[in-house]
Parts: sequence; structure tokens; C-alpha cells
Amino acid sequence: MLPLRLYRTMLWCYPAPFRREYGAEMTSAFADQVREARREGGWRAETSVWLHTLADLLLTAPKEHYHVIQHDVRYAIRTLAAQPGFAAVAILSLALGIGANTAIFNLLNSVVMSALPVRAPQSLVILTNPAARGVVAGSQTNERALLTYPEFRQLRDESSVFSGLMACQSQLDRVQARVGGDAPEEIRSRMVSAEYFNTLGVQALLGRAFASGDDPAAPYAVISYEYWRRRFDRRADILGTTLAIRRGVFSIIGVAPASFFGETVGERPDVWLPLSLQPLALPGRDWLHDKPGGIDKVMWLHVFGRLRPGVTLEKAQAVSNVIFQQGLAAYYGSALTPQVQKEFLNQRLKLRPAATGASRIRGQVAKPLTMLLAAAGLVLLIACANVCNLLLARATARRREIAVRLALGASRGRLIRQLLTESMVVAFFGGIAGLAAAWMLRFVLLQWVADSVQLPVMPDARVLGFAFALTLMSGLILGLLPALRMMSVHAGAGLKGQGRGLTAPAAWLRAGKIVVVGQLALSLPLIVGAGLLLQTLRNLQRADLGYAKERLLVVQVDAETAGYPESRRLALFQQLLERVRAAPGVRAATYSNNGLFSGSDSGDEIAVEGYAPKGGNDRESRYNHVGPNYFSTVGIPLLAGREITDRDQPSSNRVCVINETFARRFFAGRNPLGMHVTQIYGNERNTCEIAGVARDARERNLRGDVEHRFYVPATQPVSALDSASFAIRTAAEPSSAIAGVQRGILSVDPNLPVTATKALRDLVNERVVQERLLARLSSAFGVVALLLAAIGLYGVLSYGVARRTNEIGIRKALGAQHGAVMGMILRETGLLVVAGLVLGVALSAAGMRLVESMLYGLTPTDPLALGAAIVALAGAALLAAWLPAFRASRVDPLVALRYE
Amino acid sequence: MSKETSDPDSFLPLPAAEFHILVALADRDRHGYSIMQDVSTRTGGKVRLSAGTLYSSIRRMLEQGLVEELRDNPDPESKDERRRYYRLTRWGRRVALAEAQRLSDLLIQARATGLIPKRL
Repeated sequence: MLPLRLYRTMLWCYPAPFRREYGAEMTSAFADQVREARREGGWRAETSVWLHTLADLLLTAPKEHYHVIQHDVRYAIRTLAAQPGFAAVAILSLALGIGANTAIFNLLNSVVMSALPVRAPQSLVILTNPAARGVVAGSQTNERALLTYPEFRQLRDESSVFSGLMACQSQLDRVQARVGGDAPEEIRSRMVSAEYFNTLGVQALLGRAFASGDDPAAPYAVISYEYWRRRFDRRADILGTTLAIRRGVFSIIGVAPASFFGETVGERPDVWLPLSLQPLALPGRDWLHDKPGGIDKVMWLHVFGRLRPGVTLEKAQAVSNVIFQQGLAAYYGSALTPQVQKEFLNQRLKLRPAATGASRIRGQVAKPLTMLLAAAGLVLLIACANVCNLLLARATARRREIAVRLALGASRGRLIRQLLTESMVVAFFGGIAGLAAAWMLRFVLLQWVADSVQLPVMPDARVLGFAFALTLMSGLILGLLPALRMMSVHAGAGLKGQGRGLTAPAAWLRAGKIVVVGQLALSLPLIVGAGLLLQTLRNLQRADLGYAKERLLVVQVDAETAGYPESRRLALFQQLLERVRAAPGVRAATYSNNGLFSGSDSGDEIAVEGYAPKGGNDRESRYNHVGPNYFSTVGIPLLAGREITDRDQPSSNRVCVINETFARRFFAGRNPLGMHVTQIYGNERNTCEIAGVARDARERNLRGDVEHRFYVPATQPVSALDSASFAIRTAAEPSSAIAGVQRGILSVDPNLPVTATKALRDLVNERVVQERLLARLSSAFGVVALLLAAIGLYGVLSYGVARRTNEIGIRKALGAQHGAVMGMILRETGLLVVAGLVLGVALSAAGMRLVESMLYGLTPTDPLALGAAIVALAGAALLAAWLPAFRASRVDPLVALRYE
Repeated sequence: MSKETSDPDSFLPLPAAEFHILVALADRDRHGYSIMQDVSTRTGGKVRLSAGTLYSSIRRMLEQGLVEELRDNPDPESKDERRRYYRLTRWGRRVALAEAQRLSDLLIQARATGLIPKRL
């Protein structure tokens, strides 16, 4: 009968045990039901029975499946609890693997993938370069990285493609703030335009955010939730409290919501100040207006827009560029000759989606983190292999149990399901432990990324999903192999024999050996990579700067912010230099405009006497303003001529010192001394005579070639000097001189902003944060991989020795010596290790190309790294093999034979 | 499971289907279809157990010891040898009683608060 056949098919929705137990009964009851319905109510009643049954099936089948799973899980937990050693090793291995992956993924998610905590982040675009930061004074060609305030205003007022446009300071300011009448404290501030919160769609948690109609005459500020919590203990009555920052007294009008950190990933301001109040917040300069008739633009803002519905990114870019170009033409029009003007007008805006906001660190860490994720993936694979081996061994040991259950009528599918459940349970506990580890590691890792980076590192749904997917995958991988082996067990097989042969089939040992070879092969690239990255870090830390970085202190003084007009700054710097030199513990001191490893630099177009430009970047050069005795104090040797000294006064002959690269590039085969270099900016020309050639020195970067550069005396400036960075040679550790130097500086003017007081060594170390992160994590992964591989090898060998106790006993009874037995086991191990290493070397050769761009001072095929990795892995393998081999050699032939 | 020592109240409230099955088994042992018929008759066709719910409940009640399966067919007249018969256990009776008491208490409370008239 067709309906009954259909019903029987429907019964397949139930789990097999239930179906087997009750299927026949259910079918017969259903048949009775249908028969009765037909008799009493015809086809209507019969249809009703069918519908009822169908609905019932949808309800009860999942319940029955749940019941079976529950039963299996309980059984699995009981079996695991019965073997706590196995459970601990398996769960810990997986926890290591899943934890490492989740921790790295969490970081990657926070830095690269997470959308800004604002309304509809997908419709946000950024008109500037999201990786740019700081202040650029002058001009720029091609793509514009940052915008000026007048440029932003023009775009805001004239463009119709945005429903909102806002600007914000691209760099976070560290400022001294006084709350009410309290002592000053350092906080992080960012200036933003009135449209900032509106454009982002962020409402104040308390009070209100900035609005377009705000009165700039009464300074006001919005503070972050974190600052509110930290400083004000979340008091509701803080609205109206004043913050004295530099020249302004800002009253707090609102608190931002807890999740909101701003528009830049990795930076968390404590306070947002109105952009229009820049003269108060950053006194001494006017960054709100372009100087009329000038050619210097102060580019310091990021600009974000929210696209109107229906407007594409391309259209918004086209419209914005038209407005931008009009602004440029109007600004440069009057001041420049047509030729120069054409050059200055060669600028354009590039719009990018900004759902993930701006970030300076994103570009830097995305690649290292992706690589680390790949490494962590390998660690997880190795961990899975280990657990897989353990499960295989267990499944083999349980062949008897399984054969009995098969013989008693359990279906093969049911047993495989049971085994899969067991591995899933192991994976689940591993996943939970891994997630917990990732949670605990999140702040440590963050610190390794960069000391100053602040990220919301709460694992979100994406991270949890990632961890869950990893757990599921691990569970499947783990369960699959033992389950496959299970397929080959015959119901009778396990019951027939009673000896060793049953519990230790050679097939498992073979599978186990293959897994171990795979583990060794996967471990090698991790260890090689760790070695390469460790060496890179060491090379960078030992990089030759061209001068000694020990006992060198750097202190920066910002005269512009302190309100010193340009005409008085030079005198101030000279006076400060005298005080600094007189401070206790100071051997010698000098200063320069851009300083050492400070992040700021100057560059302009140049013309070199007797040199015809050939193309490339030989029309431009970096330069720096330096104080007297700069070269001898920092320790940069002069190769020819003289250095800049007190004799170079404003009134004396204009001179400069060039570096070696400059000399090679522009004076190949000629004597540069006495020749002239002309710095060109707009209509301005400054020519100076070359008085000396200094050795190349690294003042900005550790990597890459040293750029050609010239140094002019600060007394003969070619552009405005805003601040001085003092380079101080100390008699002892630089930190011991800090207090005295600061006292000396503040004795001249207590209001001088003194920043970046650091030993040069620390400044250089900050440049290798990424490399340190990579080196540390990859080493950790390498060690874990080594450990896991060794444990895996140990497991397989121990098992092999136990299985061969009898054979070894016979060998010994026949006269084999301890050494011979040990040698036999170690030889067999050697084969495994060699196979693993050969495969591993091939994998390394392929994999190390990925890290090539991260290396410094060595190649991916560095023989030392490869050799060390091979020795480490082989050593660990030998160690892991030694114990089983030793045990084998101690086998007592009598005991072994009796065992039979 | 040690049924006799545990508390019948810990099983309450019973799912409606299970209580109906216990009630159906109270006066005599029945096979599955007979339970379905009895429930339907007693409730005037308002409650119709489907085979899925019935056997899912029976599976659970067997595990909980509320009912037991009979080895022999108690109805020698029956032609159908395939039928499996179920009987209420002593423990099942206690649990059913506890559930009935619970329902009765509930009814009393509803009357006391005036939610339902004294005589319904």
C-alpha cells in the first residue's frame, strides 16, 4: 500500500535505534488510524490524519535525535572521565591550537575587520588616506593624504553628494589638562568639527554632543566614556565641569557612549574638542586659515563623509575632486608662475569606503597577523594530529569492546556516531579552554602589537563563530580517522583472538607513524620561520645607525605651541642648549629640528651645482636644521670638510653639510666641498655652500637605504623652525639625566611643552614592535609545535615498544645486547625523523617565501636558521625516542616470554 | 534509575501526552493503537495522539520506569501477534497520582480565587 510505504520512508527522520525499536509498531498503529479515519470520515478525515502525523513528525523526530546525542555525549564524558590522563592531554593540545588561533584572529578582527561602532558604517567614506597621520606643512602632489581646514569647509559647503561631512585631527594629541582646580594630568585629545558626532550618527550618553550651531566663544568638550569612568567615577553631575587645556578652559557638555572610541582604530581619545577652537587647544599657530598669498598649506585633517542614498563612491569622488580642484586653483592662482602652478595643482582626492575607519597600524600589522594566523593554523593541525593519534590508539585498544557491541547487534553507523561524538566532546572542551586562553591573552598580545595602541579587544560574534568553526572542524578531523578505522573492524574479529595481536594491530601503528611524519614535517617550517624572525629582530636591534645609540637622550621642546614667535625661537633654543649642557650627567648636547627617530622630517626640491637631473627623485632631498656640533655630539663622523659649529651665524656665509649618499649621488667623481646646493620651495630659493660631508646615519628608519640628505645650521634656516629636539650624550644611563635636563629647560620657561623624553635605545626599540611581535609569537608557536611533535613521536614509539615486548624479549634471549636493542629502536625512529625532515625542508622552502618581505639582514634560505631548526627538531625527536628505546633495552627476556 | 526512592514530584508537571497515556493504562494493559483510541474516545476526539508522540512518550516512560512492556500478549483472543502491550508500573501509578493531585490542587486554587465558578 502506497501510503504505508510513504509513512515508512518518513520514519527515516527518526534516529535508527528508535526506528528499529518502534518502527513496526508505529506503522501498524498508523495503518489502523488511517483505516478508521477512512471508514468514519472519508478522505477529509484521512487527510487530517496525514497532516497531523506530519506535524507530529516534525516535532518528535528532533526530540529523539536530541535524546540520542544527549545519551552519546553523556557516554563520551563518562569514557573521558575514566581516562583523565588521555582527556587532559587531548584537551590541552586542542586548547593550545584553538586558543592560539582565536587569540590571533581576535586581534586581526579588532584591527582589520571590525566596523566602527557608529550608525550604518557601510555608507561612510573617507576622503583622505586612512593610514596617514600627523601634520604636513607645504604642498603635496598626486593623491592627497590629509586635508586643510579651509579645504574641508569648502567641500562641506559645496558638495551635494554627502548627507554629512566631518573633519577630525588625524593625530591624537597628548596634552596636560587641569580638571577644575586639580593638578595637571596627561590626557589624549582630538579636535573634531561640529558635524563629527552627527555624521557618525553617535548620540551622547549623557548631555549632548557637538552641533553645528555651537557658540565657539564658550569653549566646550565631549569626553569619552572611559575617561568619565576613570576620572569622574561615572558621576552624572560632571556636565559643566571645566578642563583647562593649554590656552582654553573647556566645559564638559557631554559623555560619548561606552562603545564609541572615535573614527581611528587603535586610538582612544579621552576628550574631543571643537576644531574651530584650534587656536586655544593648539596655540601658536593658525591651522584654520590658508595664509593669503602663500603657498604653504597645513594638511592635518581626516575628512569622512556619509554618502547620500543612491550616490556611488565614484560619483562622490568625481564631485569632490571638482570642488577640490577649484579650491586649489583659487589658492595657488595668484602666487605662482604658470609652470610652478601646474605642479602644485597636480593633486587629487581618493575616496575609500570607511566602514572600518582610519588606522595607522592596520597596514602595518595586517600582514604579520595574517602570517601568524597561518602559523597558528599549522599548530592546530599538529595538535589535531596528536589527539588523532591518541584517539586512534584508544580506538584500537577498544576494538574488543567495539567488536562485542557489533556482535550484539549495534549498527556500524551507531558506533561511528558514538566515536564522532567522543571526538566532538574532546574538541568542545578544547575549544572552551582555547577561548578562555585567548580571552586571557588578549591584553598581552595587544601590548606586543604596540605599546601605545588601544583597541576594543572584546571577542565579538565573529570571533566566537571562528572559534566554534575551528572546534567543529577539529572534532570532525579527529573523529574521522578512528571512525574510518572502525569500518574495518569485523564483528567476529575482536572476539577471536585473546592475545597482543588483538590490542595492537600493525595497521594502527602504520597510521600513527604516518601522522607523526606529518607532524614533524609541519613543525619544521614553524621552527625555521621562528628562527628567521628572531634573527631579523636581533639584526634590527643591532643595526648600525652610523653612531652609538647608547647613552643618548632625546628631549623635544615645542616652541610654537608655547607661543614663541618665529623670530624668538632661535634665541630660545640657544639658551636651552646652554642649560641642557650645564645639567648634571650631561657630557655634550646639541639639537636639531626633526630629531632622531621622532617621525618628523623635512624635504624640498633642490638644485645641485653642476648636476643635471636625470630623473627619479634627484630633484628632491630631505634636510634637517641642526644646532652647533651636531655631528660630533651625536657621533656621526665627518668624511671631509668641517661640521656645523658656533661659527655659523645668521650673518655668516650660508653653509651646509651633506651625507655620503648625497655626495655619491650628485658629486660622483667630483669634490663636493665648496659646491652649492639650492633649496627651492614655490618662489623661494636658498643657496648654501657645502662645508662638509658626513657619514650616512640612520635618523629615521632601521630598514631600507639611507636617503640622501643635507644639514643646514639652525641659525640659517631655510624654513620655519617650530621645535627643537635635543640630542644629549650622557655620562651614565640616559634615564639618570632626565630630571636635571627637564629642570634646566623649565627654568628658562615653565610653560614650555617638553615631550618625547626618551633614551634613543627605547625610541629605536619602538620601531621594532612588529618584528618583536612576530618573533615572540612565532617562537612560541615553534616551541609548541616542537613539543607536540615530540609528544606524538613518543606516543607512537612507546606503543610500538609495548607491542613488541615479546619480540624484543626473544631477541635478548638469543643474545642481543642492550645497545643493539636500543640502536634498533633509534634506527627506526631515525627513519621517521628523516622522512619528516625531508618533507619539512620542502615545506619550509615553499613557505618561507611568504616571510621574505619581513626579514632583515638574512634571506629566507638562511642556512643557520634551517640548520638550527633541523637540529632542534632532530634533537627533540631523539629525546622523545630515547625513553621508549631505553625501556626496550631493559626488557627482561624472561618476563617478556612469560608475558606470552 | 531508582524510581522507588526518588520523589514523584520531581517528574511534575507531566507532559499532557504522558498523563493521557498513564490514564489510558490505569484500568488495563493496552497496545499502542488501543492507547490512541482510548485517549481519543475519552476526550471526545479532542486529543489525538499521533504515533510519533505516542512512541516517543512510551520510550521515555519506559526509561523512567513509569510503564513496562509485557513479555506475553495478555489478550489471548487477539489475532495480532505483533502488538506490544504496555502496563502501568507501581511507580508510574504514584507519579500519575501525584500529577492528578497537582491538577486537582490547581483547580481548587482557581476556584478559591473565583477564576472559575464553584461548580463547573
